[in-house]
Amino acid sequence: MDLPGRETDSMNYDVLVVGSGIGGMESALKLGDMGYKVLLVEKEASIGGKMILLSKVFPTLDCASCISTPKMAAAAHHPNVDLMVYSEVEEIDRNGKGTFNVKVRKKPTYVNPSLCTGCRQCETACNVAVPDQFNANLAARRAAYIAFPQAVPKKAVIEKEGSSPCTFTCPAGIKAHGYVALTRSGKYDEAFNLVLGETPLVGSLGRACYAPCEGECTRDMVEGAVPVRRIKRFIADRYYQGHREPVYSAVEKTKVHKVAVVGSGPAGLTAAYQLALKGYEVKIFEAQPLPGGMLRTALPSFRLPKAVVDRDISNVTALGVVIETGVRVEKISQLREEGFDAVFMATGTNKDVTLGVKGENLEGVRGSLDFLRSVNLGVEPSLKGKIVVVAGGGNVAVDSARAAVRLGAQRVIIQYRRGREDMPAHRWEVEAALGEGVDLQPFCAPVEFTGKNGRLAGVKSVRMQPGEPDSSGRRKPVPVKGSEFTTPADLVITAVGLTPSTGDFEKELKLNGNGTFAVNTETLQTPVPYIFAGGDAVTGPSMIVKAVGQGKRAAYFIDRFLSGESLDGADYDRRLGPVAGEAVLGRQESLSRLEPVAEKEIPLEESKAGFSEVELILSEEEARYSAGRCLDCGVCSECSQCAASCPANAVDLGMREEKRELEVGSVIVSTGFKLFPADAKPQYGYGKYKNVITGMQMDRLLAPTRPFNTILRPGDGKVPDSIAYILCTGSRDKTVGNPLCSRVCCMYSIKQNQLIMGSLPMADVTVYYIDIRAFSKGYEEFYNQAGGMGANFVKGRVARIDEQESGNLVLTYEDIDGGGVIQKAEHDMVVLSVGILPNTDPFGLFTGEELEQDDFAYVKETDEDVSPGKTSIDGVFVAGTASGAKDIPDTILHAGAAAAQAAAYVERIRRGK
Amino acid sequence: MSDRRIGVYICHCGGNISDYVDVEAVREAAGKEAGVVVAKTAMFTCSDATQQEIMEDIRENSLDGLVVASCSPKLHLYTFRDVAKRAGLNPYRYTQVNVREQCSWAHTDDKEGATGKAVRLVRAGIARTLLTDSLEPVIIDTVPRALVVGAGIAGLRAAVGLSDIGISVYLVEKEKSVGGRVAGLGSMYPHGRDGNKLISQLVSEIGKRENIVAYTGAEVVEKSGSVGNFNVRVRVGAYKPQFVDLNVGSIIVATGFDTFQPGAGEYGYGTGRVVTLDEFRDLLDSSGGRPVYNGKEIKSVAYIYCVGSRRDSGVEKAKVYCSRYCCNAAVHASLLAMEKNPRIHQYHLYRDMRTYGRYELLYDQALEAGSTFLRFGEEDPPAISGGPGGRLRVSVKDLLTFGEEVEMEVDLVVLVTPMVPRQNGALVDVLKLPLGKDGFFNEIHPKLRPVETVVDGAFICGACQGPKNSSESVASALAAVTQAASLLKKGYVELEPLMAVVDRDICRWCGECGKACPYGAISKEEYQGAEIAVVSEAICKGCGGCGPACPKNAIDLKGYTDAQVKAMIDALVAEWGHTSLI
Repeated sequence: MDLPGRETDSMNYDVLVVGSGIGGMESALKLGDMGYKVLLVEKEASIGGKMILLSKVFPTLDCASCISTPKMAAAAHHPNVDLMVYSEVEEIDRNGKGTFNVKVRKKPTYVNPSLCTGCRQCETACNVAVPDQFNANLAARRAAYIAFPQAVPKKAVIEKEGSSPCTFTCPAGIKAHGYVALTRSGKYDEAFNLVLGETPLVGSLGRACYAPCEGECTRDMVEGAVPVRRIKRFIADRYYQGHREPVYSAVEKTKVHKVAVVGSGPAGLTAAYQLALKGYEVKIFEAQPLPGGMLRTALPSFRLPKAVVDRDISNVTALGVVIETGVRVEKISQLREEGFDAVFMATGTNKDVTLGVKGENLEGVRGSLDFLRSVNLGVEPSLKGKIVVVAGGGNVAVDSARAAVRLGAQRVIIQYRRGREDMPAHRWEVEAALGEGVDLQPFCAPVEFTGKNGRLAGVKSVRMQPGEPDSSGRRKPVPVKGSEFTTPADLVITAVGLTPSTGDFEKELKLNGNGTFAVNTETLQTPVPYIFAGGDAVTGPSMIVKAVGQGKRAAYFIDRFLSGESLDGADYDRRLGPVAGEAVLGRQESLSRLEPVAEKEIPLEESKAGFSEVELILSEEEARYSAGRCLDCGVCSECSQCAASCPANAVDLGMREEKRELEVGSVIVSTGFKLFPADAKPQYGYGKYKNVITGMQMDRLLAPTRPFNTILRPGDGKVPDSIAYILCTGSRDKTVGNPLCSRVCCMYSIKQNQLIMGSLPMADVTVYYIDIRAFSKGYEEFYNQAGGMGANFVKGRVARIDEQESGNLVLTYEDIDGGGVIQKAEHDMVVLSVGILPNTDPFGLFTGEELEQDDFAYVKETDEDVSPGKTSIDGVFVAGTASGAKDIPDTILHAGAAAAQAAAYVERIRRGK
Repeated sequence: MSDRRIGVYICHCGGNISDYVDVEAVREAAGKEAGVVVAKTAMFTCSDATQQEIMEDIRENSLDGLVVASCSPKLHLYTFRDVAKRAGLNPYRYTQVNVREQCSWAHTDDKEGATGKAVRLVRAGIARTLLTDSLEPVIIDTVPRALVVGAGIAGLRAAVGLSDIGISVYLVEKEKSVGGRVAGLGSMYPHGRDGNKLISQLVSEIGKRENIVAYTGAEVVEKSGSVGNFNVRVRVGAYKPQFVDLNVGSIIVATGFDTFQPGAGEYGYGTGRVVTLDEFRDLLDSSGGRPVYNGKEIKSVAYIYCVGSRRDSGVEKAKVYCSRYCCNAAVHASLLAMEKNPRIHQYHLYRDMRTYGRYELLYDQALEAGSTFLRFGEEDPPAISGGPGGRLRVSVKDLLTFGEEVEMEVDLVVLVTPMVPRQNGALVDVLKLPLGKDGFFNEIHPKLRPVETVVDGAFICGACQGPKNSSESVASALAAVTQAASLLKKGYVELEPLMAVVDRDICRWCGECGKACPYGAISKEEYQGAEIAVVSEAICKGCGGCGPACPKNAIDLKGYTDAQVKAMIDALVAEWGHTSLI
């Protein structure tokens, strides 16, 4: 029906109801029935609040579900009630018209609700388990979940706190958390394919990646990072063992355009791979005789076996990408003439920086790339009996030194101008080199190479000392006067930096001062629109994984370019911000120490004797154990299995939160209560003694949708014989700051007594109480009934609980009816009848006028005698336990009262009064 | 063969059904039934996609019946009725067959059996659908006015609440003035506001509203009609009464409570120096300074709790129930007494201190202010005898001091007595409202429908439904307002057409159906010179209770006719070769 003034007013809704527990639903339904338009906002994924989670309800022993679900369904289908679940009201502001401006944030569920059928396949596929808040944390649920079986709407949501730090930090955007979670579940092929979705270089990265992810791992704040890289190697090796060749064949060329990629290093390979996946015809041009760039030529095979590189590259070529080797591209426009519509320049940094000292052109003085290339191609002769000096402190220097060891050098020296801790090389690489007998000479730098007949004879070096800090903050080394010394040497390998050789392209492209290509760093486009450039040729020498990231980025923008889409404003990196490690540790209920798996290598002698891979692979057991240490920082691991398993294609991992701004006529706050945290009574041992549970947990054990199929004690799964209830836990207790009675605990305990005695006829139930407050209609009779069934009521407060070795619990209490003596009684399970505390969330929502609290931080009812539910703000009403403890019947009546007054208020502002 | 055109859909429910029921086999069997022109399976029949498909099938194949074999009708009956409606098919030509709760979930150990059962249930559903007719909901226009019976705080607040949302109100009060019990109260817990001032405030609010008409000294004497449209006759005045006929859409009953009167001699009641809590409150409210009883200052009081309540049996008139308000009220009275005479000694003899919720603070205050609390057991009530100087000696076995016999001499004993149901049999008869075991008016369901009664359109609130304090009564009054307003603001009520129908040619009034009807929906009328039964569409709930009572088989239930039920049974047992069990 039309209400007067409906057409003229600007309100989106007549009434906003915040919180959809039984009170909120009741208010919303009653208002909807009266013809008012209602928006019901719920922060969880389902409406229903706490009541739907209960077993049965007193005093009628109705099934809570049977009473809640019709109300839930009615709310969902009511023509005048709109639901916003998984949404938070952020601001409520009363305006001059007497209506309210409201901001609501709809949290992303990552599942399109109009497609989701509630089939729960995603839940089955999900690889992250978190405590189930809908089972009072007694059991686990998945990150992808439907709140509970009777959820309304019955739509899945995926809980994502943000990006896990490992995933967020990966320059290539590889879902580190995702493949770790999949490994934990034993889904190794899926884990492999998740990485393969981002880059073809799974095996190479599993070995040679410097793993920035591990540096961000929250476990590192506890006892050591999850070995993310080694897990990747495990899944890659395992997959390659079973699949000598890719299982897929060339993809259909759905695009008309052709792309040339110059350079077959990590950036070029990844770009070519991603573009081929998108349906482009791609050709790679490689100047070297074999593809792979630095993976092939710079990384020694004891770190990265070449068979792994070959297998990684076959991931690219299997798509139909052609790699033409031995071809040096010198003119890019020629590629254009040959029919390529776009070109990606990924030529890397393939030149050693020279030291600029005397004698650098002597025979026997070589650049590191030249040396490593010839080692990797197997053409470097033995260095038996030779003395080798390596100049530099980076990974390339250390790799060169270790390669020289393997070629039989008598002595290998690394000279580095700063201290050991300043070496850019990885700690573990330096340690490995030292272990292999490499002589590290820190604070030393060659100043001249001396020779005989044009051939190197020795290295003249000078000792350095730290001087003033430079722009990087490190102390710049300065030579120590008169400290020169000479080392006889047969071979010097200079490894003081790499630089691109881009001279050929000077005329076609703009170069930076250091010889790198000038590009738009977001799109990687050069000033020549069809030419893109990336990888080390743009960034300067960097990490493999960063080059991979550049290749991915280039592919994305080249695709947009060729599709005629604008490159500006493209939302390329849609990752959420990272979750803070402190927050992750803070939310752990308990955290057991799980030591990291030690790094294992082949024996040193074997290692030095040849080019065998040094690092040993994790065993399956170690890989799963290691993955099991993951704390699921972002909750959702982004493993994408939910999306793959969804028959309705409803999963949308790119979903983002939405904000809505609304105008409403009136507001009902029905935000419910919080349960008393039982561990705030440490003498009862909750959280420490496993068989001490809360009343809410017992209700879950009794509910039809219970986590286990019976009542059992969590400590050992035993069905209890003797259950004690401690009433007034956290209520009527000034020691915990709550002098109020919680109104419901006596009755819910008595209800549970009856249900327990019904399903465990042999069990004894003892209730320790102060007063039994069976005050409302039918309650006294219900209490009498429990007594009649055999529940034993003992008046007396329990002072403490002690756990026995058996898991049983000894209660020490004052037996008031038994003469006031201090007694002890043993039970095998204790239920703490925890009380109700205020939910203080609503106070933060109101701007402008203040929503007043009462002395106990509940929403204050300013005229309870005549207008129960009326608050300090005209037009804002409170329903149910948000204003104080209430049982369900009282909540429902109170919610009706709030609805009547909200309706009256809406009528009043319509009339303009 | 049937010329009906029925569509049958068997749901996988993901795997919830198809893991245990061979849905393909069920579909095949259904397809062979006469009248079935479409038989399909669907992964999720309730999904939007399948709903669209069903709607297309209905239109393209001109279906005139629909069967979905899925879950419980509790979940999706309305979903699929709505699908039918949107596709232009009368929703009452839809039948839901539950093959999930009744087959797949119930027989996870026997797939073959589950499938066979599903086939039979679906056949029965088809059989019912073959005999469905188009039905239309019964629409009853509502009168936008309400009657509120009782003008205590609940009735007054209900009247204001209704008026505020645009509904005209007739307020009928038996007494000569409005205000009920709260009008006689001074300071009330927990906010310390005066009852009489609250009432004055509400009365002045009523005075401001043109759409409230109040009758005092008036009683409801007749009611006819049904939900949305009641005709009520009110007698106004005792001498030379006048009768007013009111036409209202709903009725809110707020007739309050009586207080328990102890039997003569119970705890010395009636012998002087023993009063009820009500009487003590009057005494306190009327005392300017220190309270005085029979001309003597009250220096000490003993309160005896649960007099007349929480007694199993054996005590005359005593109630089993807890009266909810009295612990709070007694503790509050003791605080008032303390205010008026800070040197007063007070003893509270209680069984369980039920100062629930926030009222615990009253108890705390009383303890801090020096009241003494002693706890007695149901079997050992306190004893009262005469003491020196006209005082009373109270003795009790105090469980808090482990059963010690405690004696005290006091000036006054206050009996804390419960609220009891109001003796208003005449009104009960007129309104036909059911009473609960405790004698208070009974709601349909304390949680689902706490202010509704089995009489559609009649609501209850306040202490006539059970003991409540003032603010709780007001909350329930406003809850009743929303119920009444829901009914009246819409302008009409829509009732399910699945109801009893009398074959006028067969029926010869014998009254058996009327006796069987729990709702009073059946009455007698003249039809072509004969007396026959007629069912009120507004009142009938379609329970089917009347049908079997009819000796002539003249009553059938629309939507579940005898013919339909027989056809369903035949379809269920077809394998066993029975043609009919009935």
